[in-house]
Amino acid sequence: MTLANFDAPVMPGGQSRTRVVVGHLTLAVLGLACVFPIYWLYATSLRRPNDVYEVSPLPWPLSVGSYRTAIDEINVLRLLLNTTLIAVLTALGQLLTSLLAAYAFAAWNFPLKRVLYLAFVGSWLVPFQVAMLPNYVLLHQLGLLNTLSGVIVPNLVSGLGVLLLRQHLDSFPKELLEAARMDGRSSWSTLWTVVVPNLRAALAALGILLLVNAWNEYFWPALVLQRHNDVLQLGIRSFMSATEGDDWGPLTATAGLACLPIFIIYLVLQRHVVSGFVRSGLR
Amino acid sequence: MSRITVENVTRRYGDVRAVDGVGLDVAHGDFLVLLGPSGCGKSTLLRMIAGLIPPSEGRVLVDGNDVTETPARDRDLAMVFQSYALYPHLTVERNIGFPLRARKTRKADIRRRVTEVADILDLGALLSRRPRELSGGQRQRVALGRALVRDPGAFLMDEPLSNLDAQLRTATRTEITELHRRLGRTFVYVTHDQVEAMTMATSVAVLNRGRLEQIGTPTEVYDTPASAFVAGFMGSPPMNLLDAEIVTRDGRLHAVAAGVDAPLGLGHLGKPGEPGEQAQRPAILGVRPEHLSLRPVADGDPAPEAGGSGGGATLHGLVRTVENLGSEEIAHCRVGSAEVAVRARRPAGFTVGESVVLTVRPEHTHLFDRESGRRLVWQPDRDASVPAARVPVAT
Repeated sequence: MTLANFDAPVMPGGQSRTRVVVGHLTLAVLGLACVFPIYWLYATSLRRPNDVYEVSPLPWPLSVGSYRTAIDEINVLRLLLNTTLIAVLTALGQLLTSLLAAYAFAAWNFPLKRVLYLAFVGSWLVPFQVAMLPNYVLLHQLGLLNTLSGVIVPNLVSGLGVLLLRQHLDSFPKELLEAARMDGRSSWSTLWTVVVPNLRAALAALGILLLVNAWNEYFWPALVLQRHNDVLQLGIRSFMSATEGDDWGPLTATAGLACLPIFIIYLVLQRHVVSGFVRSGLR
Repeated sequence: MSRITVENVTRRYGDVRAVDGVGLDVAHGDFLVLLGPSGCGKSTLLRMIAGLIPPSEGRVLVDGNDVTETPARDRDLAMVFQSYALYPHLTVERNIGFPLRARKTRKADIRRRVTEVADILDLGALLSRRPRELSGGQRQRVALGRALVRDPGAFLMDEPLSNLDAQLRTATRTEITELHRRLGRTFVYVTHDQVEAMTMATSVAVLNRGRLEQIGTPTEVYDTPASAFVAGFMGSPPMNLLDAEIVTRDGRLHAVAAGVDAPLGLGHLGKPGEPGEQAQRPAILGVRPEHLSLRPVADGDPAPEAGGSGGGATLHGLVRTVENLGSEEIAHCRVGSAEVAVRARRPAGFTVGESVVLTVRPEHTHLFDRESGRRLVWQPDRDASVPAARVPVAT
């Protein structure tokens, strides 16, 4: 009979339990650091208007006064609709153009294909600030400044979307496309009857990613809409004042409302959202 | 029915010629198998016939009409892919009906045709399933069904059995042969499996490095291979190929090598030393394993260099290994520096390490040119004043 060896238990990866505990603790602290500003946003928005500078961790007594002020002072419903319209149309437009471009790059051979693809990818790498002024001047010439169309149209093509969908389509079985050709489908028909139904997961993930990006857009709408605070993100500006100080109660309430749709999307489509970020290589 | 003609078709990828000047004529109702090793261009050729890739040169004709520029969907050809290429998001019923929907066929007609095809292929119980819920054999049948449903002029099949296990492959082979017989349509079938070619085809086209080596019935290709490549590709184990020299001995042609003396069974030649006698010529001697007889060396046997006995070729060798295949045994023997396989019914009495004499009848020996690899055939001279046997063997 031999004595058992009571070494520290070793995890499958060869890591000791201590390292795992330390790792989890570190992640938990980092997670809390990420979540805390969001918690504080909602905590502040739910304090009584006179308590917004309180630093107690729990907002007590609860009050929806800040929300009422925000709704009274800015037309939140209209801003919410405008923001939704811009985000949905931008995301759908980007999804459609990305799909068509990625399909062309993946399934067709044509002159200058490589150069054109690099141009698409390059457009994603160009910082927004570089394209901002030419786009602004163009919108001015087209008479689209201060319109929702002006916010949407210049953003209808996404280099990131083309890049991601092309990666998916490159791994799409070529024999399926050939089978559709043999079975009598045109390229256009093959796209909608064979490619899109089998690319639903990737399209959903990318669509959510594009929607979140479009929803969170602040700078471009601020530039195009100028004096009109037509979207929620700009509505927040109404409560910022250089002379009288920021009105933190309604400001946090509006910001909280602006975040809600994204939280709902995340809760409902959590799997697709995570997949979208993982597939894009972004974390 | 469709007659498919391929005229001098070439397909280049950069400097590489995947298919190089191939010409074929597949008659109505023929079952042509394109046979060759991986990378020989057989799938590329099939895709050019299908219209999935354009040829760099040459023409493809269906029923005499040039379809080289015609889109795949307008060629009246159906294709079964190696991976089956079933649409994963559709049920079996919708997969089979897909080509009809693409052609805007009426719904009632689609339902009727799908039911007919499902009955033929015994898929009736699987119509509501999706491809991922099917076994390999069932997927293969659905792919066949999708090809069958629109009643095309010809069927193109790209290694459709390669993903099946051995037992299912044998059963499906029989089903496809039966289907061909029943439909009477033209089939062009790509495979690297010579057993499929031998058992299913009415014609076999053997390809090597993009070029057509030989086309003929399975029997012709097996019995009279046009090149050393075809001889070495057909058969399991393939034909034994030994480097030899064609020499004249006692006025007769012999193929000789270390441990080998094979009289070629040709007519009487002039006397030794006479002008016009066949000069020594390098060649490849070919013998099928099943045509060799094996016996142990006896005391009275002549030495290997002394020539054959009784008009047959003799090879002296040593048994190195013996494979038991159940009904047969295969002995691998060392003859000179070459390996020679011998196949015989069990029990054949092969003993490892034994010195043996292998004999073969002259009509079962094959000769190939060492340089070009092409088959050497005996050509009697048209000029009667010259003795026939003095005419060189031609490639």
